[in-house]
Amino acid sequence: MRAFLLRRLLLLVPTVLGVTLATFLMLQLTPGDPVAIMLGEFGSATEVARLRSELGLDRPVVVQYVRFLGRVVRGDLGTSIRSRRPVAEEIAERLPPTLELALAAQGLAVGVGVLAGVVAATARRPALDSAVVAVTLVGLSMPTFWSGLLLILLFSLTLGWLPITESEGLRALVLPAVTLAAPAGAVLARITRASVLEVLRQDYVRTARAKGLAERVVVYRHALRNALIPVLTVAALQFAGLVAGAVIVESVFARPGLGRLAVTAILSRDFPLAQGIVLVVAGMYVFVNAGVDVMYGLLDPRIRYR
Amino acid sequence: MSNVRATVRTVVLILAVMALATPTGVLAQAPRAGGELVLVSTEEPDTLDAQKTSTAVTGLLMRYLGDTLVAKDLAGNYTPALARSWSVSRDGLTWTFQLRTDVRFHDGTPFTAAAAKASIERALAPETKSPIAGALFGPVAEVQAAGSATLVIKLKQPFAPFLDNLTDPRAMIVSPQAVRELGDRFGRSPVGTGPFKFQEWRSADRIIFARNPDYRWGPGFVHAGPPYVDRIVVRIMPESAAQVAAFERGELSILGVPPTDVRRLQAAGKYQFFSFLRKGVGLFMEFNVTREPFSDLRVRRAFNHAIEKKSVLQIGLEGLGEIAYGPLPPSIWGYWDGIKDYAPKYDPARAKTLLAEAGWRQGAGGALEKDGRPFSFVLYTAPIDTWRRSAQIVQAQLRAFGIAMEIQTFEFGTLLSKLRAGEHQAEFMGYTYTSPDIVQLWFHSSNIGTGLTLSHHRDPKLDAMIEASRRETDQNRRLGIYREIQKYIVDQALWVPLWTNTNYIAVQPTVQGAKIHPDGFLVLNDVWLR
Repeated sequence: MRAFLLRRLLLLVPTVLGVTLATFLMLQLTPGDPVAIMLGEFGSATEVARLRSELGLDRPVVVQYVRFLGRVVRGDLGTSIRSRRPVAEEIAERLPPTLELALAAQGLAVGVGVLAGVVAATARRPALDSAVVAVTLVGLSMPTFWSGLLLILLFSLTLGWLPITESEGLRALVLPAVTLAAPAGAVLARITRASVLEVLRQDYVRTARAKGLAERVVVYRHALRNALIPVLTVAALQFAGLVAGAVIVESVFARPGLGRLAVTAILSRDFPLAQGIVLVVAGMYVFVNAGVDVMYGLLDPRIRYR
Repeated sequence: MSNVRATVRTVVLILAVMALATPTGVLAQAPRAGGELVLVSTEEPDTLDAQKTSTAVTGLLMRYLGDTLVAKDLAGNYTPALARSWSVSRDGLTWTFQLRTDVRFHDGTPFTAAAAKASIERALAPETKSPIAGALFGPVAEVQAAGSATLVIKLKQPFAPFLDNLTDPRAMIVSPQAVRELGDRFGRSPVGTGPFKFQEWRSADRIIFARNPDYRWGPGFVHAGPPYVDRIVVRIMPESAAQVAAFERGELSILGVPPTDVRRLQAAGKYQFFSFLRKGVGLFMEFNVTREPFSDLRVRRAFNHAIEKKSVLQIGLEGLGEIAYGPLPPSIWGYWDGIKDYAPKYDPARAKTLLAEAGWRQGAGGALEKDGRPFSFVLYTAPIDTWRRSAQIVQAQLRAFGIAMEIQTFEFGTLLSKLRAGEHQAEFMGYTYTSPDIVQLWFHSSNIGTGLTLSHHRDPKLDAMIEASRRETDQNRRLGIYREIQKYIVDQALWVPLWTNTNYIAVQPTVQGAKIHPDGFLVLNDVWLR
C-alpha cells in the first residue's frame, strides 16, 4: 500500500510540470503582447520597449520559464503585470468565493440530481419519468450565461426576491449556485436514472423483492448503493468542471472569484497571474484525482497492484 | 357623494394656489447631506495609482479622488484647480504655476510646491514604469519648486497639448508622503486631495470612496465645500445585462446605458438622462495602403462614395450618434465644421466610375473583376456588438457593387498586434482622445509598425503638417493647421469615417444635482440624494 501511495504521489510531479509548461507555451504562442495591451492603443514603441525590459519580458522564453519554475519551487508565484501585486495574494483573495460557489453547486447538483434520477427510474407513471427526462434536457442544453440572466430577470427584477449587486452571504449565493448546478445536476439525474434502472434488473434485487422487502427498502437500501458508484465517479470529475464553469457564472452574477481573475489575466496577457491560476487549479484537480485514486485503492485492493 | 367631490376639488384648488404662491426659491429643496451613491463599472481597475494605471476606469475614479493643477469647467474652458493661476514664457518652454495654499492631502499632509514637484517627478521616473501618466507632461527638462507656492515646469521643446494634458485625471497630484510610506501598497490605498478619499477596495467586487470632510478647494464650477453624499460605491459588474437589471431594481444610482437599452429606459420616463458625444470617432474603416487593393487611391475614394453611412448609423448603432466625416469629431477642439461638405458624399455612380478607372469591371455574375481576379478582401474587426452589426451593413452595401467583404473578428489585443504588423487589408477601428493631437498618433509615419499608424501610410507632407501642429502654440494658427490636416486626410481617403456614438448616462430620480462634464463624466461634488 505504501509503495502504491508513493508511486501515485511521485506521478504528480511530471503531471504538474507538464501543466505549467503547456500553460506557459500556450500564453507565449497567443498573439498579443502584455505590454502593448497595458499601454493601450496610444503607447509608443519606446515606451513598449522600456516597459518590456523593466518587466523582464525581453529575455528568451526559456529563461523566462526557468526563472518562473525556480520561483515556484521557492513558493513565489511572481508579481502580476497588470496589478503589480503578488500573484499568491491575488489568488488567495479570490479562491474562497469560487470554492464556496463550486461546493454549493456540487451539493445542489448531487442532491437534486440523484433524487430526480431515482424518481424517474422508479416512477410508476411514465409521464413522471418523461417529465424528469425533459427537464434534464433543458438543464443540459441551456448555456449558463443565458439561464443566469433569465434567473436574474425572473427572481430579482420581476419578483424582487433576491438582490443583484450583493456578493456576500447566502442570499447572494442562491442564483449563481442554481445556475451552475443545473447542467451538472441534469447529467447526474440521467446517470442515476440509467444506473438505477440497470441495477433494478440484477438478480440480487429480485432476491430482495422475493424476500418480501418493501419496495422503498429495495430501491434505497439495496439498489441505490450499487447504482451510486458510477454517479459518484462522475460527480468527483464534475467538480473540476464546476470550478471552470464558475468563470461564466461569476461574470454574470458579478461575484469576485478566481474564474473572473483568470479571464482578466488571459485577456491582458498577464503571464505570471495566468500561470499562477492554472498552477493552482491544476494542482487542485490533480490532487483531488490522486485522492480519488487512493480511495479506490483503499476500497478495492485489486487496483493497487495494477 | 357630491360633497366628497367638492372637498377634493377644494383641496386641489388650495394646493394649486399654494404652489403658485410659494416662491420658487423655497420650492427648490436645499441639498441634503448623507447617503450612498452606487456606480457601476464593467472593468476592474488594475491599480488606483494614477501614475501606474493603464485602465480607463481608474482615470474616471481619479476625477473623484484627486485634483489636477488645472481643470476644465463645464463649458470646456481651462479653470484654476490646485493652481490658482499660471503663465507660460514667450518661447513656450517655461510654465509657472501659482498654487493654492489651503489644500491638504487625505493623509493630512499639506499640498505644497515641493509635493507637486515630487508627484510629477515620480510620474516621470523610469522606476514608476508609468504607462500613461508619465507621457502626459511631455518633454520635461526640469521641475522646480520656487518657494512653497510656486511651481515651475521647464520643457525641452514647446508642447502644444501640455495644458490640456494637465487636466487629465492621471496628472493628479499624489501625496509624496503616502507614496513613501505605502510603497507598493499605494495602488490599493491611494492618497490624493480630491472631494472623496479612498476607503476600501474588495477585489472584483466593489471600491468605496468616502466624503472628504475637509474639502474646500473645488474648482469654480462646483459648490465650495465637501460633497453632500457620504460615500460613492463603485460596483464591478462585467455583464451589462445584469447592470441594467440592477439599475432598474434601484440597486444602482447611475448607469452608463448600453445602446440596446437606451430607448427602452428613456421610454420608461422614470430616469434622468444625460448624453454627450464621444470624444473621438466611434467607428471608421481604415485601409492598409501597402496592400492590394487599397494601395490604389481611386479604390479608397470609391469606397467613400459607395458606403451609405446613414444606414450604418441607423442599424449598426440604432441611430444613437452622429455620422462621422473626418479624423476628428465635433466633440474635440480643432474639429473643422466644413469637413461635412468637403468629405465625399454617397454617390454610387461616382463609386463605380472610380472603380472602373482603377481597372475593376463587372464580370459575369455581377462580381467586380480585374485581370480575371474577383474583388474580395478581409475586414479585421473587434468583438464589439455595434461594430459587428455595422460591418454586416457595410458588407451588404459593398455586395451591391460586386465587392466581396469577409469579416474576421479578433480579441482587441490580438487585433492591434496584427494591424501593427500590417497583416490586414482593411480594419474597423475607433478611438477616444481629448485633443486633436490624436492625428499624430494615427497618421505620423514614425508610428508605423509600432504605434497607431495602422494605414501604414508614409507621407512626408502629412508628417510635416503634423509636426507643425505640435510646435505651434498660437491657438488660431493651430486651428488652421488642423483644418488643413483634416482636408488632407480626407483627400487621401485613408479612412471611411462611419459614426461617432452618443454616450448615455441614466440617473435614478432620487439623485439630485448631477452635472455632466464635457469630458464625458458626471461631476459628483454637488450631487445629493432625496
